[in-house]
Amino acid sequence: MALYKGRSVAKMGVVEGEALVTKDLVAFWGGADWETGEIVEVGHDARGKNVAGKVLVFPIGKGGGGEAFGYYYLGRSGRAPKALVCNRSLGQTVAGALLVGTPMVYGFKEDVTAEIKTGDWVRVDTDRGQVEVLKKVGD
Amino acid sequence: MQLNREQEEMLEGRQGRGVQKAIEMLIAMGNAVGAEKMVRISYAHLMPPDLMFFPYGKQGKWAHEMTEELTQDIQGFKVATTIEPMFCDLCIARDLQYPDNQIGEMQKIQGEAIHFYEKMKVIPTYTAMPFLYYQTKLGQHVSIAESIATLWFNTMFGSRCERDDGITALSAAITGYVPLTGSHLEAYRHAEVVIKPGTAIDFNSFNDADWDAYSLAASRKCKEKRPAFLGIPSDIGLTALKHLLAVIAVESGLAVMHIVGLTPEAQTLQMALAGTEPLAEHVIGKKEMDEAYALANTSKDRNIAFVLLGCPHLTLREIRDLAEVLDGKKINKNVKLIAATTRLLLEQAEDMGFARVIRDAGGILTTDMCIAFAGSNVKGTIATNSIKAVFFYTGFCASAPNEVKFGSIKECGGAALTGRWEGRF
Repeated sequence: MALYKGRSVAKMGVVEGEALVTKDLVAFWGGADWETGEIVEVGHDARGKNVAGKVLVFPIGKGGGGEAFGYYYLGRSGRAPKALVCNRSLGQTVAGALLVGTPMVYGFKEDVTAEIKTGDWVRVDTDRGQVEVLKKVGD
Repeated sequence: MQLNREQEEMLEGRQGRGVQKAIEMLIAMGNAVGAEKMVRISYAHLMPPDLMFFPYGKQGKWAHEMTEELTQDIQGFKVATTIEPMFCDLCIARDLQYPDNQIGEMQKIQGEAIHFYEKMKVIPTYTAMPFLYYQTKLGQHVSIAESIATLWFNTMFGSRCERDDGITALSAAITGYVPLTGSHLEAYRHAEVVIKPGTAIDFNSFNDADWDAYSLAASRKCKEKRPAFLGIPSDIGLTALKHLLAVIAVESGLAVMHIVGLTPEAQTLQMALAGTEPLAEHVIGKKEMDEAYALANTSKDRNIAFVLLGCPHLTLREIRDLAEVLDGKKINKNVKLIAATTRLLLEQAEDMGFARVIRDAGGILTTDMCIAFAGSNVKGTIATNSIKAVFFYTGFCASAPNEVKFGSIKECGGAALTGRWEGRF
């Protein structure tokens, strides 16, 4: 199965989960509801989807300067994603991941938002800084 | 990550637990992004969570917990610091429909934060536009926690800062360092894509809202890729620049962009691209502008309950434009108009008579508060001239999001007088 090599923000072991993939940038402060985990941003391609417990695959974070706090509130509400996988790292997203302790891998040769599909079962290995698709959706 | 002797001493705890915790946080951030060392900064813009991020209820407690250890025993900051707006001007909290118990909690949590940071001798700017107070130079390393301010210091001044979060910027102010990474490095500053106006775009006829719409349209094209804007008039004013930078700062992951012929690292397109080929060239025309306006106008209802202005804080020109619409008239009894600006601009607006005109009409002109959060408890349609504010008004609370009308400050002022939205969208 496909393997994508990037780098992890910190060694936090290995987690597996179902991918939620979006081609749009993701904001956790204003873009997602910190109490429910629902993406609420108007015009977002994943609007109405919920990030809680998912391996969230996205291009990069965006939003205001409060991004890390939004992510922290999401984590304290028990609605954080299981892991974050993105093409580029935004400082505020990295800070949020570190504050909450969410595994995060970024910086791949490939565009992971094109390679991985929503519903794929994915293993995120932060010790090796890599992401593996274990089962494609529909297989 | 390599540490110098000063940083090692901080890590050993010789300057107290707050400093030690701050350097630990910066090392964790540096390792996360692959920084090899730290770089000394000379200025930081703070975004303390307990000052700003819903300082009541459980999140008010969480906000305080995030900074408690960092600030417990520090004696001051190692660099000059400015600070973000606070959550709410408590004098108008009832106008914004907060219940008394929440106002009481705000008074405590927000009030303690103000007391602490002022004791630490922060410059009490309370604005997302600290660049009106504190200007830095080409190549100067700083730490900024605020999206438009990060973009402004990098783009307009050519200074060096990453998209720092509130904890990183606070840690940077406490230690005087940040990880040397991202936009601090030449390799991550050059333009990657080009944004051009279509033939139907006439910047000279743009109002404040048009610049917001152009910025939203551009950000939807370039996403996280650093853009070079072509064709922007070199005499563009502060108000237009504020609108152009504020929206794209939120709608993209950008720390730096370029305006060809205007910004210090983009005297020419070749200079902005730094010898690279652009990955794409995007044209923003009438269709893209209309799409942006349609996205930003979420309400079908044209009855307006609130007019909220100043995200980021109103410029003197915007205050003047608002005063022109309201002059000698009364705001509709079903509408509340609240406009926020900076302390210095309010003083000028007082001197020029604009502040009195707005107050005489029944409007509220205030300072120090973040108007983006002012919609979080209100019922009824909000009118605003800021797409950045639209993002936050529609984004907080999934169960009952605000409905918004977006247009120019003159259209917003008109809606305040009649209670009806007469804008094109």
